Amino acid sequence: MLSPNEQIAFILLVVVCGRLAFQGFNRIFKTVKSGAKADRSDNLFGRFMNALIDVFLQKPIAKARPIVSMFHSFIFFGFSFYLLVNMNDVLEAYVDGWTTIGSDNIVAKLFNVFADIFSVFVLVGMIFFLYRRFVQKPKVMEFNTNVKLHPGVSAGGLKKDSLIVGIFILIHVGSRWLGTAMHLAGNGHTDSWLPTASIISGLFSNWSHASLETGIHVTWWLAMGLIVMFLPYFPRSKHIHLMIAPVNLALGRKTARGAMDGISNPASPGSKTLSDLPWPQVLDPWACIMCTRCHEVCPAHESGTPLSPSALEINKRYFINEQGNALFNDAGETALMDYAISDDAVWSCTTCYACVEVCPVGNEPMMDIMEMRRNQVFDAKMPDELADVLRSLDEQGNSFNESARRRHKWSKKLDIKLKDATKEPVKYLWYVGDFASFNQNCQDTTRKVAEVLTAAGVDFGIMGKKEKSAGNDVRRTGEEGLFEVLAEQNIKMLEKCDFEEIFTTDPHTFNTLKNEYPDKGGNYTVKHYSTLLLELIQSGDIDLKKKLDIKATYHDPCYLGRYNGIYNDPRDVMKLCGIDLVEMPRNKENSFCCGAGGGRVWLPDHDDMTQRPSENRIEEAVAVGVNNFTVACPKDMTMYADAAKTSGNEDTMVVKDIIDFVLEAMDLPEPIMEEIASSYPNEEVSTEPQSEGLDL
Amino acid sequence: MGDILVITEHLKGEFQDITFEMLGKAKELAGASGGQCIAVTFGNMNGKAGELGMAHSVVSVGGSDDFNPESYAAAVQSVVSAKSPSLVMVGSTSMGMDIANSVATALDITTVSYCADMSSSDGGFSVTSSMYGGKMNVVTDVSGSAVAMVLAGAFNADAGKSAGSPTVEDFAAETGAGKVRFKQLIEPEAADVDITQSDILVAVGRGIGSKDDIELAEELADILDADLACSRPLVDAGWMSKAHQVGKSGMKVKPKVYIALGISGAPEHIEGMKSSSTIIAINSDKNAPIFDVAHYGMAEDLFDVVEELVEELED
Amino acid sequence: MKIAVLLKKVPDLVEDLEVDASGKELDTDDIKFKLNEYDDHALEEAILLKESGAVDEVVAMAVDGEDVDKMLFTAIAKGADKAVKLTDGNPADSHQLGKAFSNVLESANYDLVFTGVQSVDDRDGQLGPILASYLHVPCVSVVSGVALSGETAVVHKEYSGGMMAEFEVDMPAVLGIQAAKQAPRYAPVSKIRQVQETASIMEASMGDVGSANGSAVASMAPPTKGSGAEMLDDIDDLIDVLKDKGAI
Repeated sequence: MLSPNEQIAFILLVVVCGRLAFQGFNRIFKTVKSGAKADRSDNLFGRFMNALIDVFLQKPIAKARPIVSMFHSFIFFGFSFYLLVNMNDVLEAYVDGWTTIGSDNIVAKLFNVFADIFSVFVLVGMIFFLYRRFVQKPKVMEFNTNVKLHPGVSAGGLKKDSLIVGIFILIHVGSRWLGTAMHLAGNGHTDSWLPTASIISGLFSNWSHASLETGIHVTWWLAMGLIVMFLPYFPRSKHIHLMIAPVNLALGRKTARGAMDGISNPASPGSKTLSDLPWPQVLDPWACIMCTRCHEVCPAHESGTPLSPSALEINKRYFINEQGNALFNDAGETALMDYAISDDAVWSCTTCYACVEVCPVGNEPMMDIMEMRRNQVFDAKMPDELADVLRSLDEQGNSFNESARRRHKWSKKLDIKLKDATKEPVKYLWYVGDFASFNQNCQDTTRKVAEVLTAAGVDFGIMGKKEKSAGNDVRRTGEEGLFEVLAEQNIKMLEKCDFEEIFTTDPHTFNTLKNEYPDKGGNYTVKHYSTLLLELIQSGDIDLKKKLDIKATYHDPCYLGRYNGIYNDPRDVMKLCGIDLVEMPRNKENSFCCGAGGGRVWLPDHDDMTQRPSENRIEEAVAVGVNNFTVACPKDMTMYADAAKTSGNEDTMVVKDIIDFVLEAMDLPEPIMEEIASSYPNEEVSTEPQSEGLDL
Repeated sequence: MGDILVITEHLKGEFQDITFEMLGKAKELAGASGGQCIAVTFGNMNGKAGELGMAHSVVSVGGSDDFNPESYAAAVQSVVSAKSPSLVMVGSTSMGMDIANSVATALDITTVSYCADMSSSDGGFSVTSSMYGGKMNVVTDVSGSAVAMVLAGAFNADAGKSAGSPTVEDFAAETGAGKVRFKQLIEPEAADVDITQSDILVAVGRGIGSKDDIELAEELADILDADLACSRPLVDAGWMSKAHQVGKSGMKVKPKVYIALGISGAPEHIEGMKSSSTIIAINSDKNAPIFDVAHYGMAEDLFDVVEELVEELED
Repeated sequence: MKIAVLLKKVPDLVEDLEVDASGKELDTDDIKFKLNEYDDHALEEAILLKESGAVDEVVAMAVDGEDVDKMLFTAIAKGADKAVKLTDGNPADSHQLGKAFSNVLESANYDLVFTGVQSVDDRDGQLGPILASYLHVPCVSVVSGVALSGETAVVHKEYSGGMMAEFEVDMPAVLGIQAAKQAPRYAPVSKIRQVQETASIMEASMGDVGSANGSAVASMAPPTKGSGAEMLDDIDDLIDVLKDKGAI
């Protein structure tokens, strides 16, 4: 269809733009290659197949914003089909007489109808998105004013990019659509296989043949020329996500979420610059679609602090664009914390994993922050409060600056004598953890767990003062060395004990014992106590006599739910107790963090904080009309008990642990507890320290 | 010889309370041991010998009015060499520390730090030292010469104040090698509050946990119309200004009511507040030394107590 | 310009302290020891001076003992250049400790010796001035600010009530540090481990430390509770007291 000159011109355009685009893509490749090593080579075929299927089913994006995701799928399917469409357009241009319009071939007809409908899909979708960004301007797309932004971003770069991409798509698809309409007008009749094009072909019904011909050429050049000219812009634009996102998803982390990567360079741990990051994280900025779903679910951003995972990736991208070839200079790379994220923001992260969970393109901004913390801590750069806590952990094995010998003081108020797992064999070793041991808001819960298990006849013991913090949060503050020391010491102690399984009430402890200790030489069967309780109820060891007629909601702890996929065990326990479970809108993998993780519980609130994440969550519970807020984590217990007070809901919201329900449902008579205490194997109830059993 | 030497301490021309605290005790002990109580003054403080009525005599070494670790220690050393007292009492203070250790080491005499109490015993003295952050009292029996560093506030200052006219002896003392030279006194910055004048103080210690939580103490202080005070660690951490610091290197306060929140009771802090009329201590550690000096106490979590208290008082 | 910093471990005061069977000493069986916090400040001040360019070398020194190696490696991880361990002896008090350090330092080439102003267990006096006396050099204690100027150090000595005095001290000299210009820095464990691989601790015999100072302990006991606080049961009691004493 094109004249020979046009054909040559197009080929030249392709060559020139293709070369420019190639340079851009090559730079991406080089930059990603300069990242630190990471092994994502396992089962490559499976990885890519799964990623393509997920993308085809639009699963990653459907995790949030359902209506927006629907419009995106319009564009996605439309644009995917346009690969065929553009190929057809090239054939039309170079092969004499080639066209699908007016053909009797059923394949051509199907092609036509899909091309027609998808064109409209894309146009509608694109108009929706442009409307959303430029007219509706949802607040969630704004960054907190205290978030560090690259100057290009502050100058409105995101809007500019969106506009360019939007206009390009509108013109590319729109002009092709118009061209088809003109073609139909030229044919003189509509085509039921090209419904929408047929409708607007009426606009051109009184155009002369010559005008139509010109029109067809012009629209062809607008559509095809533009896409070729757009090729070099791809590497600089978020539009490249359509190529990079599937790759990013395919090469995503497949190891356990709760297992942090080891340190690749002990002489200089963590990441200071972009190329210090593992290469999949260097790829992230190009996959990023700048949609802000991550900071929408981020407890730090939502509470007004300077952390936006979205800004982190976007800043990285803008920096890379700005640097161009200078990125590979030996002049010493600029530190990430100089351009991508502020110091305050790095320490605002609670490691809740929500950003990684929700990202539709498989980005991991949280991992960047973990790497930066490692690097900062190695240079002893950290909030002073954190340094004090780390010292306490190093010196006494707990974060409370208490003597290690006081670790089992919580058990003094019990009538029961607990077995010392370091001195005698037990079936279950109860890894109590710092918070459950020392925090006064949590000790009651800890004692109730002991009572329930004793009444159920479970053979369990604790390590008492020989237990040290398992180190989950230590590792997430970047103090890898201290984590290693704690893990080594704990494993050494565990090796001396004789037990079958470990259980703990603390999801943080659970996470590291299960996912990270094997790497350090500690391989154990580890359970969260909700799983153990469920087992015991189902086997009848825990006999639930009462059905509690209580309406309650349940908060999924980050390290139990999102990190380790355990959502149902605590719920099942509650339901077996007769609880009428009411879900909050943000439940299961969308649970909203209490704000204590990642060492945040040891740090003061940021001056800019508008509302604590825990208060926000309590209000969510109030809104669903319950008075009981159920937790299964000691940090959640203390955070929410406090938040119920500070948010003014002390009289309307009671914070309960799942053990409270179990204990109540067991309906143990008072004398039974004493009987249990007195019949406890080989022990007499005594408050005098004895040689066997725990030296209280 | 049984004499007891009291090394006076002065600042800006006035004898510090520690001087009188030691004099009172020294007179009592000297009486029991059959010796005399002799006060040593520096610079022109001999002019105020009339305030040192508890002493039998005064040895004036002259020299500089401004404290100098080197010259003052040298002077005291010559006096001790000459007088061979059975006991030398020096303040367990910034000035005292430089003098006591230097003199005792040079003359190879027994030293005892952090004296909270002293009494006569067979052939000598029984000295009780407050050690390990106030958690242990250690008793040492000294016979022969000894240097005892006395904690400020261990004894009663009023019991040592007596107008009189002790004989004043001018003593030609050593002045040292001149390697330490006094330059100037540096006054503390003007503060928004003078806690030494407050009637009620709400004091916070390390137990407050974080800078944010000081707010809670502020609430209580507001309701009670009290001023805020703190122990040294909070000043070092930058959470409160030095004007609020109570203790050895901070302010000495004597309010009607001193409420100590999350303060363990290390001697350096106690020094600054033990003269308060009523001390109420709240600390979750029932073994905290603060409870030994407090009049009332609660071994509870300070946050629980203060929150509840504020609530009750607001009604 | 070389600074020697003297470090010592003391019982961690968060522990519940008990007297041993003899009734005269601390029961140290189960309790943890940590670096004397004032010695930590002394180290920090020395390293700050080095970072400001005024000092060429900081040497950390300690008497050999349990976990002392780790303490010295930690000092190097924080920025000390070298570490020296004193061996062949067991100083029992501040005077013997002072003698041990003076034996090693008197022939060493140093300009300043920093050590913590005091420690929780220095019953027989404070190390700084004692050491200075053995070395026949000047000493200023309770220092919270050091500046160097040629052959002299300008120091700020703290008095009570927030007052301070400025002194000029000819070097070599000993300074008893109360507080560094900033809180002692944190030493990341991975850095300490790295130092343990690469650095080594020098050893020096402490020589004759003489006899312990003066009198031995007659007895040790926690302060008697009898004259302690009247413990209150609840908030109402507390409010009564406050009313009674005129606070409300």
